[in-house]
Amino acid sequence: MECIITIELGTNGVRLFAFDLKGNVLNSTKASYPTFHSEPDYSEQDPEQIFITMLYVLKNFIIESIYSKKYKVHSICFIASMHSLLAVDVHGAPLGNVITWADNRGKKEALGLKNSQMGKKLYEATGTPIHPMSPLLKILWLKKNDPDRFTQTYKFLTLKSYILQQLTGEYVIDYSLASATGLLNIHTMKWEGQALDYAGITVDRLPELCSVFTPGKLRKEYQTSLGLSASTRIMIGSSDGCMATLGAGVWGEDKATITIEDSGAVRVVGKQVLRDEKKRFFNYLLTENHYISGGPTNSGGVIFEWFANQFGEFKGPFDLEYTIESLIHEASNVVTGSEGLLFLPYLLGERAPLWNPNARGSYFGININHERKHFIRATIEGILYEIYSIGKMVEEHRSITSLSVNGSFAAIPFCSQLIADVFNKPVSTINKANSAGLGAFLLTATDMGIYRNLDEAAKSVAFYETFHPRHNDHKIYTQYYQLFERLSLKLEDEFEMIANLQQKR
Amino acid sequence: MNQFFLHHSQSKELHGFPHILEFAIRKNSTIQLNSLSLTTADCIRIYYIMEGKFEWIIQDRHNILYPGDVAVILPGQTFQGENDFLDIGTLFWIHIKVDSIESNMQMILGKWSGLSESESLTIGRILHLSQMPVLVRMKPILSIFQLIHTEIFQQQIGFTTRVNQLIDELLILIARQSTLQNNLQRDFPQAFIKLEQELRKNLAHQWTVEEMAALVGLGTTAFTERVKSYTGFSPLNYLINIRISEAIKLLRKDNVKVTAIALDTGFYSSQHFSTTFKKLTGYTPGEFRKRDSLKD
Repeated sequence: MECIITIELGTNGVRLFAFDLKGNVLNSTKASYPTFHSEPDYSEQDPEQIFITMLYVLKNFIIESIYSKKYKVHSICFIASMHSLLAVDVHGAPLGNVITWADNRGKKEALGLKNSQMGKKLYEATGTPIHPMSPLLKILWLKKNDPDRFTQTYKFLTLKSYILQQLTGEYVIDYSLASATGLLNIHTMKWEGQALDYAGITVDRLPELCSVFTPGKLRKEYQTSLGLSASTRIMIGSSDGCMATLGAGVWGEDKATITIEDSGAVRVVGKQVLRDEKKRFFNYLLTENHYISGGPTNSGGVIFEWFANQFGEFKGPFDLEYTIESLIHEASNVVTGSEGLLFLPYLLGERAPLWNPNARGSYFGININHERKHFIRATIEGILYEIYSIGKMVEEHRSITSLSVNGSFAAIPFCSQLIADVFNKPVSTINKANSAGLGAFLLTATDMGIYRNLDEAAKSVAFYETFHPRHNDHKIYTQYYQLFERLSLKLEDEFEMIANLQQKR
Repeated sequence: MNQFFLHHSQSKELHGFPHILEFAIRKNSTIQLNSLSLTTADCIRIYYIMEGKFEWIIQDRHNILYPGDVAVILPGQTFQGENDFLDIGTLFWIHIKVDSIESNMQMILGKWSGLSESESLTIGRILHLSQMPVLVRMKPILSIFQLIHTEIFQQQIGFTTRVNQLIDELLILIARQSTLQNNLQRDFPQAFIKLEQELRKNLAHQWTVEEMAALVGLGTTAFTERVKSYTGFSPLNYLINIRISEAIKLLRKDNVKVTAIALDTGFYSSQHFSTTFKKLTGYTPGEFRKRDSLKD
């Protein structure tokens, strides 16, 4: 029997799933690798460590979960976080670490481009918001601040391109991940000359563009060490955001996906991009026929974990799971709206819809009757108001009638219900913990002819549970949300002032 | 308690204890200029504040100490009063000699100690890494000091053994407390990345699970479980991952010999390195090096 393995190179670690050809999960495993912050705005990872971790886990996974069950690996499909940048020299050796999406060193470069005519042009051409996360601005930063590394660079890669080069020997990038680099024209599907000029590079510094369905071939040594046949296809795949949208089964213009892991996003699929004067959306490609559009937030589950780490009660050392469970339980005992306690979740600055790295968190409306439990619930509500603000922004362009949620934070039933109430729309969850893995399976299965096209593949996703909105709660949330929005906009100057003071410390 | 001062060169009470350089209580009631100017410690100095407020600079960092607080100054660290004098108040201290300090990190106690070599190395490492010379609210330290005092002055049967045990206990308590004050045992990813940075800084060292666990402040069983669920690997396999990743970087530099890479990254021998490397990557180190340099 044949199976498909999906490998997701995420922010915190690598996740593997094995699917049979009907889409049933045979097994899964994961392993983590660290992120280094050698300076405040830096966020880097060790490419060799990621490669070795991936290889080690893959090898054990194949031996323990595939061969022991007499399966043969037909394809391995890759998924990766967006916006990473890795410079390599002429021998393919990394020049320094991978710079991740969360790295903010290009703040100045972003500010310089954002409000210019060129910024508008590049945003419209490439679909990537002008933000330090964009590889375009990271390359520009290297050129200005690390000229040695810049000139020594033979290729500017994403992490996934590097891993694939190690496995297959080819420098490749799929259109989908390339559309998140700020360097690809999403309308012509070619590298955008003006973006390359702006970054100061030529097209030969970039990997070769190809479709998400492109198969590659493992180097012989890895065939041997992993025990895979020469015919095993190494599918280049796509980005985590695009795959999570496909795997969430949301494939109609009236549907949206909400993903909340550490960070989060609201996404829609369409044949057209979302045009926005204020440049608040991303428009990424999945295939030439499908754009994945929406807005990302920094303020996802990581904010609630921060709260739990500071104010939760720990049963044993480092027992965060238990703490989070009991906090959620306490939150459920507080009435809707936390009796007038409101939380702005911008502890990490914010992307959509504010696009303000200086935004900061705040509790508003505290009175003498508020207890710890109100703060717990207010924190969760604040995180979800932020998600709602992205949803409202999307709704200026599309009318959305239902939602599909995924990701470790959004999939907590208490949160899924709250999303339904805040949005006043039915919310479905899928039965598989990981929709990105499922998306990669659907992509591969479509390539194999199991589904006629991605539309049919997406429709095969079975929903597990549906949460229906409670209209009375929605009314309460609407009132608080108005205040949330007003505060978020009103505090712009104060955000800048406090961020400056914090910088000086 | 009353003032007293024992010094290893003058006090017969310390004859059986060549590793105790000083043991004293001092009530300082007047300020004397230059009574505490800059010195570099050549032993472990442990001070317990009984009364008053002391402002000290330890390793260039300012610290304010109140009653119940403890300062720990390690060999090689600098120490002085904020204004070069000893503030008014009462303090209790002991100075303990260590046998060898090979680098900053390697602390080996003498034969008197019941701690194993690996335990005393780990304690030394924890104290150096924690960068927390001051531990707050450490009442239990006072009780240990008082017991040591009683044993030394009363000299009942078995007192030598008891005093040495008490000093071991003192060091263990301080090491544990500084790990606890350093991480609140809440955010495992944060504690783990601190550990990872230490591993990377000293990859050639033959790390044991006990040492790694101690740096995070957990017992070995709980530590192994946590690491497995967080990283997907056992602590030693995780360490091998880091070793191989570093080795790959070094292999790409043509001028480094494979044997040197093996030892620098913590493998016992180049044989051990080659086998592990091949098992994981499918290449021998030599083949891997050739693969990437042949290109272009």
